[in-house]
Amino acid sequence: MTGIIRRFGGLAGMLAVVLFFAINLPETFLTARNWLNISQQVSMLAVVAATMTVVMVMGDFDLSVGSMASLAGVVAAVLFVQEVSIPVAILAALGVGLLGGLFNGVMVSLVGILPFVATLATLTVFSGIAFVVSDGRTIFGRDIPAAFGDFARGGPQIGMVDERALILPNLTLVAVVVIVLIWIVLEQTSYGRRLYAIGGNSEAARLAGLPVMWLRLSAFAFTGVGAALAGLMYASRVASANPTQGDGLMLTAIAAVFLGMTLTRDGQPRVLATLAGVLVLGVLDNGLTQMRVDSYVREVLVGAIILIAVGLSALGRRGLTRRA
Amino acid sequence: MTLRKTLIGFAAAAGMAAPLSAQEVAVITPYLAQPGTQFYVDGFSARAEELGWDVNVIDTAGDVAAVISRIEDVVTQGVDAIVINVDPAQIGAGLSVAADAGIPVVGMDAGSDPLVAVNVTSNGYAMAVETSVYVANRIGGEGNVVMFTFDPFPPVQVRGVIADAVFGNYPDIEVIDRITPDVSDGGIADSRAQMEALLAANPEPGSISAVWAAWDQPAIGALQAIQAAGREGEGIVITGIDANPQAREAIASGGNFEASVAQDFEQIGATTADSVARILSGADIVQRVVYVPTRLITAANADE
Repeated sequence: MTGIIRRFGGLAGMLAVVLFFAINLPETFLTARNWLNISQQVSMLAVVAATMTVVMVMGDFDLSVGSMASLAGVVAAVLFVQEVSIPVAILAALGVGLLGGLFNGVMVSLVGILPFVATLATLTVFSGIAFVVSDGRTIFGRDIPAAFGDFARGGPQIGMVDERALILPNLTLVAVVVIVLIWIVLEQTSYGRRLYAIGGNSEAARLAGLPVMWLRLSAFAFTGVGAALAGLMYASRVASANPTQGDGLMLTAIAAVFLGMTLTRDGQPRVLATLAGVLVLGVLDNGLTQMRVDSYVREVLVGAIILIAVGLSALGRRGLTRRA
Repeated sequence: MTLRKTLIGFAAAAGMAAPLSAQEVAVITPYLAQPGTQFYVDGFSARAEELGWDVNVIDTAGDVAAVISRIEDVVTQGVDAIVINVDPAQIGAGLSVAADAGIPVVGMDAGSDPLVAVNVTSNGYAMAVETSVYVANRIGGEGNVVMFTFDPFPPVQVRGVIADAVFGNYPDIEVIDRITPDVSDGGIADSRAQMEALLAANPEPGSISAVWAAWDQPAIGALQAIQAAGREGEGIVITGIDANPQAREAIASGGNFEASVAQDFEQIGATTADSVARILSGADIVQRVVYVPTRLITAANADE
């Protein structure tokens, strides 16, 4: 019984959330336009959470992703001010993400600082650099090339509903590409299986001859680049950049991975489960807004739902251990 | 039978009337935690209640991208109008979604944009008129004036333009310096340093008659410099704009800082509701910026 709750309780809960909104918002919730909206709204979170899954597979964390997202957006915007072309600015911002991620990896893996402490420190460092680079200002308006802001507004048209074009948002497509890539890395390569081995038992993995140090170091590159990409997506969506705008992504991304872990058989992070977690958070924001629930009450509800989901999963697992 | 018919008729009437009477308006801002924003929303909500609207106030806690997401949500929900309190340049993606759905967006001190039907705000030109004319009259139309301006920021730049014109119109007023302080730490510290340098360069009592600041922080910095130099007895008149709490306190205490200008946040909120009402009633909106009167704050009313 507990096994069933543990295995399917999370999934049933997520379906219940969707069903709840479908009943309460019969005309708008289950429409293609609304779901395309949700997919676009969660796209940045999806990218951060998917790459966060890579380090959480090993039992590690990266707390610096939010400030890295802010930093990457600001770096691109400052380069735009210098009239650097869009592709070069994007590559530079992603390069900053790669360097920052590798730096985290070095601190955690080579130097051996706890990920929580190391990435908490780099969170502050990246945030400070973002303020230095931008001078604390929001960069917007004519400084941001129109094509950069238009990217987040556009996408291939897939139909017409009520005489309004239905587009598959570019941001959604980017998120899908990232999730597929991470899925391939984690589920289809020996690299991914080795990361799971480290998460299972780091010492055993080392004794089995895995290059644990290099694997951990390299995995942090994913969160760095993912955070930078999400920061660029955010900057494109708001056609501007300021040194704090991505900060909120970190906690929500970790919450999404935890929510996802309640869905997997062994309680391990899996990228598709993370995606489900991201979607639940997005659906809650979307549905509760449409139901005109007060924004502060909405935050309380979202936090409570995370606790319930993760709590049920933990209870289920404990029941299973006791039986065994 | 009659009773039953009446009941059915009543229910039908109520059912028919409901969608017509209750207009739904969403107010979306990332800045609800800031004191000024709260006043806008209070003013708006009070007026909206008189008009019988359903108001949904949505705060995204500083997240501007989430403002776009919430605009998309309320457009899906099908609200009658959306009120924003955020720079429209940053939420263009959301504005175009609302425009596609034919839902009007009204700015509550938000900034102008082709997709914002009306923006309700305070008149920066008029605020600068209040304080620059106060200075000119107060010093009897003659003397040396120091200006603190900040031209890189358009809402403040317009204030400087007005002060330039007013002081330029008095043949015996000379603007001896037009300072752009470094605002990275808020503007008080650097304004104070620049003012200290100016006081040192003009040691004669009476050589500086007034300091006109385009906002309150430089005025406070100048006041601190004058006090530190022990020259508060020379009658140097200081004015600011915005009437923030620190400025009000300084003005109320009756020192050199004599005047500032307060925006009427609640009235901006109420007028925003009136503008939404006009748009919903189908009025043709010609003027896309609506100004709400501001108020000169002096020792006489700084405590209010």
